[in-house]
Amino acid sequence: MKTLQSDIRTSKLRNQNAVMLMLLLILSVIVLLSASFGAFHIPVDAVIGIFKSQLGIDSHVFTDAQAQVLLNIRMPRILMAMLIGGGLGLAGAALQGLFRNPLVEPGLIGVSAGGAFFAVLFIVFGSSLIVMSPLFSLIGLPLFAFLGGLLVTMCVYKIASNSGKTDISVLILAGVAINALMGALIGLVLFYADDAALRNFTFWSLGDLGGSNWSKLGIGSLLIIPAIGMILKLYPELNAMALGENEAYHIGVNIQKVKYTLFLSSALIVGTAVSMSGTIGFVGLVVPHLIRLGFGADHRLVLPGSFLLGAILLSGADLLARNIVRPAELPIGIITALLGAPFFIYLILNFKKINY
Amino acid sequence: MLQGINIHFCISDKPIIGEASVKLFPGQFTAIIGPNGAGKSTLFKLLSGDLTCSRGNILYNGRLIQKYKSQELAQIRAVMPQHTVLSFPFSAWEVVELGSLNAPREISQQDIQDVMERLQIWHLRDRKYSLLSGGEKQRVQLARVLIQIWKNQPFPRYLLLDEPISSMDVSLQHLVLAMLNDLKDRNIGVLAVLHDLGLVANYADQVIMMKAGSVAFQGNLSEVYNSKNLEKLFGYPIQVKNHETGMGVMVHSLPYHYINHTIKQAQ
Repeated sequence: MKTLQSDIRTSKLRNQNAVMLMLLLILSVIVLLSASFGAFHIPVDAVIGIFKSQLGIDSHVFTDAQAQVLLNIRMPRILMAMLIGGGLGLAGAALQGLFRNPLVEPGLIGVSAGGAFFAVLFIVFGSSLIVMSPLFSLIGLPLFAFLGGLLVTMCVYKIASNSGKTDISVLILAGVAINALMGALIGLVLFYADDAALRNFTFWSLGDLGGSNWSKLGIGSLLIIPAIGMILKLYPELNAMALGENEAYHIGVNIQKVKYTLFLSSALIVGTAVSMSGTIGFVGLVVPHLIRLGFGADHRLVLPGSFLLGAILLSGADLLARNIVRPAELPIGIITALLGAPFFIYLILNFKKINY
Repeated sequence: MLQGINIHFCISDKPIIGEASVKLFPGQFTAIIGPNGAGKSTLFKLLSGDLTCSRGNILYNGRLIQKYKSQELAQIRAVMPQHTVLSFPFSAWEVVELGSLNAPREISQQDIQDVMERLQIWHLRDRKYSLLSGGEKQRVQLARVLIQIWKNQPFPRYLLLDEPISSMDVSLQHLVLAMLNDLKDRNIGVLAVLHDLGLVANYADQVIMMKAGSVAFQGNLSEVYNSKNLEKLFGYPIQVKNHETGMGVMVHSLPYHYINHTIKQAQ
């Protein structure tokens, strides 16, 4: 009896690994489908052939045109969807852990809007203030969006938290206020924009994942991947924070350090994501929830699981966006909102019953 | 030794703790008692490090509390607050395991099982914490803080508990207090804010009696825990006497209507 019971840790670890494996499997299926379907159809065996030839294995089941489309257009887009979807899922989980509240989401509390405002500032005034080197014009936008996101996260936290406890109604209201303020500020900045800047802004604000290319993906990975790493490492601390900030401090967590690491890394992810693909809502809300509902609250699984499920959700949504009205494309934000908003309503209706 | 020297604490110029000096010895069970609003919880939070004194010092084993990193402090003292609300659906087992955050390798699953079995919560291990009853939650939290200081260490350690047994039934209260008494052999000093004067009389070694933000009486139970001091502390007639069987001490407070009667007679 005792030996059976003392296996809790091992069996839990085994379950967590099984969940991760399952998510990885689903993700690879979606990647394969995404690579194949689109305005220009590439059969699955051709896709596999192209991947093989990239690895140096000779394969002749594909045409040059197929390889060109897959490698230069579709792959960076798929990887971008994975990076941003996974990043948003993880940032959602991190913010929920930080605010100790399962209803928190980067868009809802205004982080995305803050990022968008600073991105617009950069688009409109950036070129006139700074001598734009080509590299800076690429990296400046995500960095500005990051600053905006960081500023808003810290503001909202200051407004909504009182000695380590956040009041969810104050938090959501603060989000509403900040979203309104950021919207007004964006309007104000656009009022002063010249035609070139307006054109840039229009492209950026429409720009879902369609504009992905390898150099954009490179910059995005450079900013998002370290932030992902920083968050993933904090799973024991986030578990402890679920008890409360004081309790986490009693167990030995350096609260201030954890808080600022989470502020920085989630703002880095959300800001970069906003600058690369506009505001994509609800991924950060829905994904951590689904993981917790299905597999428990342990952040050792919730964090990497949210990354994988976010990647699945956004690349899946992108697959739909590219194929529903083929050869045209739906903006991806429409699809995530169509899936996410009803789920959010369901959460509000069941918030008391879910029994955290 | 855990010492508070000339502690003073105020919130927006209103003193909550006027002036207090307390000593907590390893290997002893110290109870904090006092009427509502006496500053018991504030004193507790100052000692645990949740609040910082406006004046005065807190020393753990002779070293200022501010000089410790949170990780070092977690090795020396464990804290159980009055209420803990979880923000996510963790199981009871996961909550207890959080106590080993600072030293995950040193605490075996068997240790966790032992503690949970002694507190009679092992059968609840897979249940969601939020679905447990008040007394069950308290025992889960207690198991968590016990796990934090479970492994012996070469230095004195402290366990601080704010009303740890308030939601438990009487048999569990005795079980827990007896278990806390066993910790004394491990060079651990136990400090608990308690309300049940009878349990204090039978389990504590030392008592800190708080009133209006300062320490009214403090010392060995045999010296300060008597009818006269308790009456002064609570402003209510209370009698302390040995139980007629010779087993333990009884603390008796007169029902209210009898008091009115005696007062009337005196008039």
